[in-house]
Amino acid sequence: MSGTSDRYGFDDFDGSGDGPADGSTDGTFPDDDWDSGLLEEELRQAAAILDPVPAALRSVAVDAFALHDLDARVAELTFDSLVDGIPVRGETDPPRMLTFQADAVTVDVEVTPDGLIGQLLPPRPARIEVLSGPREYARLTADDLGRFTGDAPPAGPFALRLRTGGEVVVTEWLRA
Amino acid sequence: MNGLLRGGTTPSTAYDDVSYTRGGTVDRAEVGALVQSAADGDSAAWKSLVDGLGPLVWSVARSHGLSDADAHEVYQTAWFRFAQHLGRIREPEKTGSWLASTARHECLKLLRASKRWTPTDDPQLLDRPSEDRTPEESVLDSEEAAAQTERVRLLWQEFEALGERCRQLLRVLISSPPPSYQEVSAALGIAVGSIGPMRQRCLRRLRARLEARGTTS
Repeated sequence: MSGTSDRYGFDDFDGSGDGPADGSTDGTFPDDDWDSGLLEEELRQAAAILDPVPAALRSVAVDAFALHDLDARVAELTFDSLVDGIPVRGETDPPRMLTFQADAVTVDVEVTPDGLIGQLLPPRPARIEVLSGPREYARLTADDLGRFTGDAPPAGPFALRLRTGGEVVVTEWLRA
Repeated sequence: MNGLLRGGTTPSTAYDDVSYTRGGTVDRAEVGALVQSAADGDSAAWKSLVDGLGPLVWSVARSHGLSDADAHEVYQTAWFRFAQHLGRIREPEKTGSWLASTARHECLKLLRASKRWTPTDDPQLLDRPSEDRTPEESVLDSEEAAAQTERVRLLWQEFEALGERCRQLLRVLISSPPPSYQEVSAALGIAVGSIGPMRQRCLRRLRARLEARGTTS
């Protein structure tokens, strides 16, 4: 596909990889905005028929309104080994290390297929709910040193809701 | 569905003349108002947001070539996070871009998790074929709609045969209602200014493929 690379680095326009030299038609083909608009619209309708948002998924999003809680503080994901970590050579399935932060509160979580290990800082006891969507999946307890353990989180996105000293902190949703 | 979030059925002309401001049929100011209402506890407003912006989120998941299961999780994660941040989003009128960007980052993470020994930002390397993207076509199986069905099927077939980048761009552009270029930019991590020209080229490729099959738009 020579000559099809362009300044956008957009060099895989056409799956065929052959046919007329695609790049050379630029500028010689008068663009027809109306035709493009029509084609895009037709494609939009095709997508609505052939690849719509699954109905069950839409319901999940509608139900997610229940997760809206203005009183809870959101602990944002500040470290994710999947993104920020350096892969360890030879380790094919390293634990997922996550750090969440809400102001002075830090929650470190390590997830492996075997379970979940966590540390709340500064150290303090807490009641913890593992959330799987709007549903509660499990309950854990952090000891006086802020340590907690549990089963592996559920499939799909999860979050931790920590209640400690009258404060509620919820970790950002993510998939383990 | 809320009227302002209706899907467009008439072609919008001259997208490229307004590529920086194209807002499709979702009224941005009203999205901001809906977000505010939802944050105040209005579940109908939330539902309107799901209907108006859900297809965009879905298109982002689909455009990244994820498996069905992964695409479902990306969609859910984006909405769970949005619910969680409701009332805390700095620019509520840009919620579409916020959701698109959140979905994109989740897509990249899942792609990375699937091959975590080679973290990469190269979109070419991140392309992974979907395991089960066979579309549900049963809704089209009615005799009288056969011709139309054939046309839609053929169009989709040629769309899916486009190169990865065109497929990705168009899949997001054709979510319904049409996304703004800012949202497309957030969804795919490409500059707003390059969307218009890329869109034209991709649609031209698609038209050429259709013409080669003796079908013109």
